[in-house]
Amino acid sequence: MTPATATAAPTVEARELTRRFGAFLAVDRVSFEVERGEIFGYLGANGAGKSTTIRMLTGLLAPTSGAGRVAGHDLATEPEGVKASIGYMSQKFSLYLDLPVRENLIFFGGAYGLWGKALERRADEVLALADLGDAGDAITGDLPGGVRQRLALASAILQRPQVLFLDEPTAGVDPVARRTFWRVIRDLAREGTTVFVTTHYLDEAEYCRRIGLMVDGKLVALDTPAGLKARWVPERLLVARGRDLARAVERARDLPGVKNVMRFGAALHLRVEPGALSEQDAAAALRAGGASEVVVEAAEPTLEDVFLAVVGAGGRGEEGSP
Amino acid sequence: MTGSRERVRRSLVRIGAMAQKETIHVLRDPRTLYLALVMPVVMLFLFGYGVTTDLERIPLAVADADRSEASRALVRTLTESGELALAGEVAPADADRLFRRGHAAAVLVIPEDYEERLARREPVELQLLADASDVSSANQLLSKADALVRAESRRLSAAALAPAAPPLSVKVRTLYNPAARSALFLVPGLAAYILAITAILLTTLTVAGEWERGSMEQLFASPVGRLEIVLGKLLPYLVLAMLELLLVIAFGAAVFDVPVMGKPPLLIAMGFFFVVGMLGQGLLVSVVTKNQLLATQVGLISALLPSLLLSGMVFPIENMPLPLQLLSRVIPARYMVHALREILLKGNGLDVLWPDLLAVVVFALLVIALSTARFKRRLA
Amino acid sequence: MTHEPSPSPGAGPAVIARAMVRRFGATAALDGLSFELARGELLGLVGPDGAGKTTAIRALAGLLALDGGEAQVLGADPLSGANRERLGLMPQQYSLYRDLTVEENLHFFARLYVLPRAVYRERKERLLAITRLDRFTDRRADALSGGMYKKLALACALLHQPEVLLLDEPTNGVDPVSRRELWALLHEFVHGGMTVLVSTPYMDEAERCSRVALVHRGRALLDGEPGALIARFEDEAYEVHGGDRERLDAALAAHPAVLAASPAGARLRVVIARGARDEVARAVAPLGAGLEPTHPDFEDLFLARIREAA
Repeated sequence: MTPATATAAPTVEARELTRRFGAFLAVDRVSFEVERGEIFGYLGANGAGKSTTIRMLTGLLAPTSGAGRVAGHDLATEPEGVKASIGYMSQKFSLYLDLPVRENLIFFGGAYGLWGKALERRADEVLALADLGDAGDAITGDLPGGVRQRLALASAILQRPQVLFLDEPTAGVDPVARRTFWRVIRDLAREGTTVFVTTHYLDEAEYCRRIGLMVDGKLVALDTPAGLKARWVPERLLVARGRDLARAVERARDLPGVKNVMRFGAALHLRVEPGALSEQDAAAALRAGGASEVVVEAAEPTLEDVFLAVVGAGGRGEEGSP
Repeated sequence: MTGSRERVRRSLVRIGAMAQKETIHVLRDPRTLYLALVMPVVMLFLFGYGVTTDLERIPLAVADADRSEASRALVRTLTESGELALAGEVAPADADRLFRRGHAAAVLVIPEDYEERLARREPVELQLLADASDVSSANQLLSKADALVRAESRRLSAAALAPAAPPLSVKVRTLYNPAARSALFLVPGLAAYILAITAILLTTLTVAGEWERGSMEQLFASPVGRLEIVLGKLLPYLVLAMLELLLVIAFGAAVFDVPVMGKPPLLIAMGFFFVVGMLGQGLLVSVVTKNQLLATQVGLISALLPSLLLSGMVFPIENMPLPLQLLSRVIPARYMVHALREILLKGNGLDVLWPDLLAVVVFALLVIALSTARFKRRLA
Repeated sequence: MTHEPSPSPGAGPAVIARAMVRRFGATAALDGLSFELARGELLGLVGPDGAGKTTAIRALAGLLALDGGEAQVLGADPLSGANRERLGLMPQQYSLYRDLTVEENLHFFARLYVLPRAVYRERKERLLAITRLDRFTDRRADALSGGMYKKLALACALLHQPEVLLLDEPTNGVDPVSRRELWALLHEFVHGGMTVLVSTPYMDEAERCSRVALVHRGRALLDGEPGALIARFEDEAYEVHGGDRERLDAALAAHPAVLAASPAGARLRVVIARGARDEVARAVAPLGAGLEPTHPDFEDLFLARIREAA
């Protein structure tokens, strides 16, 4: 966990941030605060308004109404000040594939106004920070996706931003590279950089201190992972493993006290009213439904359970435009 | 239905699907429509009006050694039409200084025995010193001066009671363009040039765009064939380009009084095959480069240079060195320019122009075959 | 949705990849990759970025030539183009037409496969209903959210009812709810007899396939039924409870017997080399933590195998 910092003003503030595109309301009065050095997760279904919110917070898009401050700069009146204090890693990889790694950094550092020896030193620094120490001369396009994402991250921190915005930084990246990536993020947060990240990998979201969840443009949940689990999955969670569980899903849904049944890989997660159903009864029911080798255990809810509870229940953000 | 007829039918359906999709792209992208329909008209106006090489009021200085009634009458005739303007009276030795300063484009030297010799019905030689550093202006100047002097010479003959041979012997007769209006000369060439550029640009982006956007992968996994893609993509642009051809000719006729003397079917046929060839050339560039930025650059160069320099649009092919003359034989624009001029200004028909039509047809077929052949069905 | 089983002559595998080799410059994207797909099977190609999944799928779709080995789909060489009508592809990169609407994209693909009008209409309606895109037929493809776009791409690939469907990372960047919907769809089609090959970076999706091939550096490291593969897993998975997660993470990352560590809920989850449990337990005890065995999942399997292969 990040060490408490002395009473600093929040580095990211949103107050009733709203954005319309014609008749479509993409972001609807979103308000929150992010502390310095916090890793803040921003989740939601595709089209729920996450990317639009980030674009407003990074000064790329003007809010239709509402206000915000990032690193002390007002979004509406000082967008350039905002851009100078932040790093942004977008979903689309935007470095030059035919340049070597280090040259890419030198180029982008130059674009940020760094130059000379200072630029060279900083480039080496971020290479080390992002665990790319020995990849400096490799051609960017030859790198595997996970390593390229770390390079994009490195280029986003060249100008020592106070706030780092990461938009689905690990999409498609393999588990090993993802872990390395998050280690780097945690190092940065420990040193005081505020990290604002969106992701669909909910196991990664567990590293966030707090998480905001958007549905259909509204911020419907904002809390620590533990808080979200307590609020949104207050029931018991039973995890069923075995063979042919898929056959028994409908039957399981009909059991008394079962609020919902979700597939998690080959396993099933059952949300059950406390006291309504024991593990053994659940296992028996699943077996009767056609599954075999069934093992049912109580388990702690994960953030994915929370996501499914929040988003799966109500709107799905299908109306959204990216 | 027999196997092969069914195959052809299916092929046609697929071509139709490609054409329909391409049409939607065109209609939803205002830039394409702008390029095809607005740009040509703008270019026509710009070139037609702005770049007219007709000169008015060429400054002419006169070194009149005679200073007689007759010599002054000559000067009056030369300048009253307004095409030549009197830039002053000078001594012949001052001609060089005048030219360097740009005060005059020519000096007319009238010998001191002008009137005397005229009275005695003897031929008189007038000297015209011209600043030929601008060859095209000089040529115009010479032909204008020549025409005016002849006119004067005829007047003198008529005034004299006895007919005498006109003193000047050079005859310049211009047929089919009696006023030597450069618009008539330029516009047909211009039409071909504009069509060539826009047609190539239209298609140059289309295949490269699909490669860049990634949709080519999906297309190639399907049963659609390369020729079907090529033909399907050509169709909507063909319609646009034919519209453009009609627009340009219509504007040329309306605004620049370019006559349309020839037969419309031949005009349409030439236009059609020329346009197919140009569209195909753009497609070929697109197929080979696979990258929109590169395609645009290569397309522009391959469109501009040949059409401008080697088509006979501005510079007569006959004046070019032999290698370039031979090179211009493979430039379709050459045939189109030639045919347009023949059809529009002379009313000539297939009997004279069949080689030009054949040339553009061959080019069109060749370029489509090449595009299809070079179209790689592999991603790598 | 019913899927008429095709009149297939012979019962050979629908897809055969045999020692496929393909190089790009100095790199070997495929280095002897082999696997087979029987009819009606759902095979997952799982592996990190750069493992060769996309290259393999493109080779099977007839979009790439191989430098060595062989690819066969429905008994024919994919490059010959003999079976394009029976094959469906959903590529990884966005390959639908952005300025065309949902309806226009579907219509285009229908005509590309020369579907009769009545057949098109019926299938289109069913596909739009299942993907819940029926309210968005006039929406342009570039105005769709990521999940909706992928569903449209899937619908376009299914329109001509292919016998074999190749999907390259169809759920990449898609939220958990939409992912489940896509998989439910896939299962329905497989149930109806379609043969499906899916590549995915999501380990939990590997568990939803009838068979899985773990791909790394252009080869198959593992191949088999997910349940069986996990059952054969020799290393052990534990949850670490108690202690400070950050400090534990640092300590465990350094330990040689720990093959992987990742967050599991509020706790940490580790994969430990066989027999090294006590060693690791001793390492975390001073930090106030203990180990509790838990069920290994596919990600654990993956991490352990990759670590070995490296």
